[in-house]
Amino acid sequence: MNLNILWFILVAVLILGWSVMDGFDYGVGGLLNFIAKNDKEKRYVMNAIGPVWEGNQVWLILGGGAVFAAFPLVYASIFSGFYLAMMLVVWLIIFRAVSFEFRSKVENAGWRNFWDADITVTGLGISLLLGVAIANVLMGVPLNQDHVDYQSLFSLLNIFGLVGGLISLSMFLMHGSAYLIMKTEGEVQQRARVFAKRFAIAYIVFTLLFLLISPIFAHRLLSNSFGIIGDIVPVIMLIGGIGVILTAGSSSDIKPFAYSIVGILGAVASLGVGIFPDIVPSSINPEYSLNIYNSASNHLTLLVMLIATLIGLPLVLIYAFYAYKKFGLKVKMDDSSY
Amino acid sequence: MDSLALFLARFQFGMTAFFHFLYPPLTIGLGTLLVITEGVYVFSKNQEYLRITRFFAKLFAINFVVGVATGIVMEFQFGTNWSQYSSYVGAIFGAPLAIEGLFAFFMESIFVGVMLLGWNRLSAKAHWVSTIFVALGSTLSAVWILVANSWMQSPAGYKIGSNGIPKMTNFWHVVFNPYFPSEFIHVIAAAWEYSAFFMAGVAAWFLIKNNKDMIMRKALKIAVISGVIVACFQIVLGDISAREVVKYQPTKLAMMEAQWHSERYAPETLFAIPNNQTESDGPQIGIPGMLSMLAYMNPAAKVMGFNKSISYINHKYNLKLTAAMFPPVLIVFWSFHIMMYFGFYFALIMLIALYFLFKGKLYDSPKMLKVLWFSTFLPLIAIEFGWFTTEIGRQPFTVYGLLTTVKSVSPNVSALDVGLSTLMFTLIYITLASFAIFLFKRELKERAEGKDELAGESAPAAASNNKEVLS
Repeated sequence: MNLNILWFILVAVLILGWSVMDGFDYGVGGLLNFIAKNDKEKRYVMNAIGPVWEGNQVWLILGGGAVFAAFPLVYASIFSGFYLAMMLVVWLIIFRAVSFEFRSKVENAGWRNFWDADITVTGLGISLLLGVAIANVLMGVPLNQDHVDYQSLFSLLNIFGLVGGLISLSMFLMHGSAYLIMKTEGEVQQRARVFAKRFAIAYIVFTLLFLLISPIFAHRLLSNSFGIIGDIVPVIMLIGGIGVILTAGSSSDIKPFAYSIVGILGAVASLGVGIFPDIVPSSINPEYSLNIYNSASNHLTLLVMLIATLIGLPLVLIYAFYAYKKFGLKVKMDDSSY
Repeated sequence: MDSLALFLARFQFGMTAFFHFLYPPLTIGLGTLLVITEGVYVFSKNQEYLRITRFFAKLFAINFVVGVATGIVMEFQFGTNWSQYSSYVGAIFGAPLAIEGLFAFFMESIFVGVMLLGWNRLSAKAHWVSTIFVALGSTLSAVWILVANSWMQSPAGYKIGSNGIPKMTNFWHVVFNPYFPSEFIHVIAAAWEYSAFFMAGVAAWFLIKNNKDMIMRKALKIAVISGVIVACFQIVLGDISAREVVKYQPTKLAMMEAQWHSERYAPETLFAIPNNQTESDGPQIGIPGMLSMLAYMNPAAKVMGFNKSISYINHKYNLKLTAAMFPPVLIVFWSFHIMMYFGFYFALIMLIALYFLFKGKLYDSPKMLKVLWFSTFLPLIAIEFGWFTTEIGRQPFTVYGLLTTVKSVSPNVSALDVGLSTLMFTLIYITLASFAIFLFKRELKERAEGKDELAGESAPAAASNNKEVLS
């Protein structure tokens, strides 16, 4: 296995890390106004992610940096090509990043309602836009011979992109609900069980719809580089979703979250299998596509970054494990909470 | 290339970097001060130091989230607005950014949650260790971000490949490029200097209201002692940084000092109104021979003039740059001089405060306290002008000698797109800064009205326990 293939896998691992570790933060954010009925419940729900969301968000920064370093041409052409969509994501992230801290500082109904709405909208918005962008990449991007993409924001808003967005939206809402089943007790947990089931159903429905229409929009998904093995990878998504449906109502607090992770794993694996060895396929001419070779940094950079990742990632997991352990499985409010 | 789009992209980068850089210095410096105050508490068990830590941690938290929020765009902006730059240098420049996430930002962000929300969960020692990790993480963040920036100033550890794009040949040469050590120390010292002024200013504000506030007396003492050390060292560190400019960026030095013509016994110009058209300094005050002395330790040494420095780098890098491509000397000259004058002011103020402290009059002198309160945010001005000097002085390059700014911009992003996003960023950043100021003020007011420092993040009435939620 060469370094380029290894880095393709590593980027997929980082996307998986981000989706699993930060995805529930967006999901919980998106659910906030629906699952919690009053300020006390909202604070309870918020504190399920309170001590950890800040660290989780770094997965996104790390992912961006890793793509920049390993596949600079992908970073350059996707971010400039999806200009206004990227900006929209950045603005949503900015407004989410300050929301929890700002909200808790002032006890005023208007102020708190504003930030509650902010947390909900940014959570839903980011979850949706993620899938829209990915579906558009799968469909192919109008890259010219210089790998530059000239297109408008509105061309991203097509049926296929929208269905992709609905997949990621329902996936993160499912994940957020499953996380809340694990972290909460009482009424909030009961509501989370209902939400988890509903969003898992939505996740399965949108995934099937996506697979059904992909022959029209994204031929490459029909002829992936792995043949029959590649074709069955999306089944993992369905297994995860069905697992959540079956366990959401059970007495287990952890199983729904575990199945939700399986669902996300399936989605990231399907994306990787579907697109390999390209990273950004060109819709103008397959030869203009950016793949793991023509978009990559030179050998030394890939090697240095690989060593850095092998040392750094375990450290990150140790810090994260420590933080989760210190705050326990179930949310316990005290006067240091948000 | 659309020159309006280029202008807007430059404006957007400058504006977003300006706003972002208002926050991280306090995260780095106040984080370090919190390690000190909490450390004193852990080892002395003196509750007053815990109260200092808890109160300033609240201000730290507000500053921290805005710093993170405004920082995220910085990473993505290279791809959105500067795609040619990104494809050209990604193989080198991207590496420190990714490593920053892996080895610094994760540490900082995971432990900031533990630190801010874990006061009741961890033993005093374990909590202190979390605070140390936050300070360490934010300092390491600065290491890697400044590796990336200093590499743009003095690129090293690369070779131009067959496709005309630089390839990394030695990772450690990239990291320890000539500018890195001096730039890093200068920036970290600036962060500590600002944070000492911040803590001193806030403490002074409380002492003006009530000079029997024993907690703020202790905070002021810590701030003044650390401030005087850093502010005096900073003058030396600034000089060291300037010497690197002499060696590697002759065009920047000529602009910083408004040195139009090559000469021996070059003066250190203290005041001038440099004019690019006439290539003259207008009304001017200078110390003869001082610049030659500072730059080369020899008053007779020859300092390169502006035009000579351009032909020098044209020759060195095989380029055809003209003086018209460079920024107005006036801007670089005054950015540098404003920063420098503030640097002297900070050292002076802290020395006077130290004198008052030794005389035992610091807490009872409303004038001195007012000067400190007035100076709370002044270091930000010096920090920003220092940044202008570095970044504008590097123009017309993004990577000195290798890549010009004109050739760095995204070719596919229209002026309308950049204009729209710039407008949005401006609005968002002004909003965020206003919120941050509002919340800062509120914390100060609440404490002045008697709110206990040990009360939590949330307003006291909202503090609830699990039973209330679950019932």
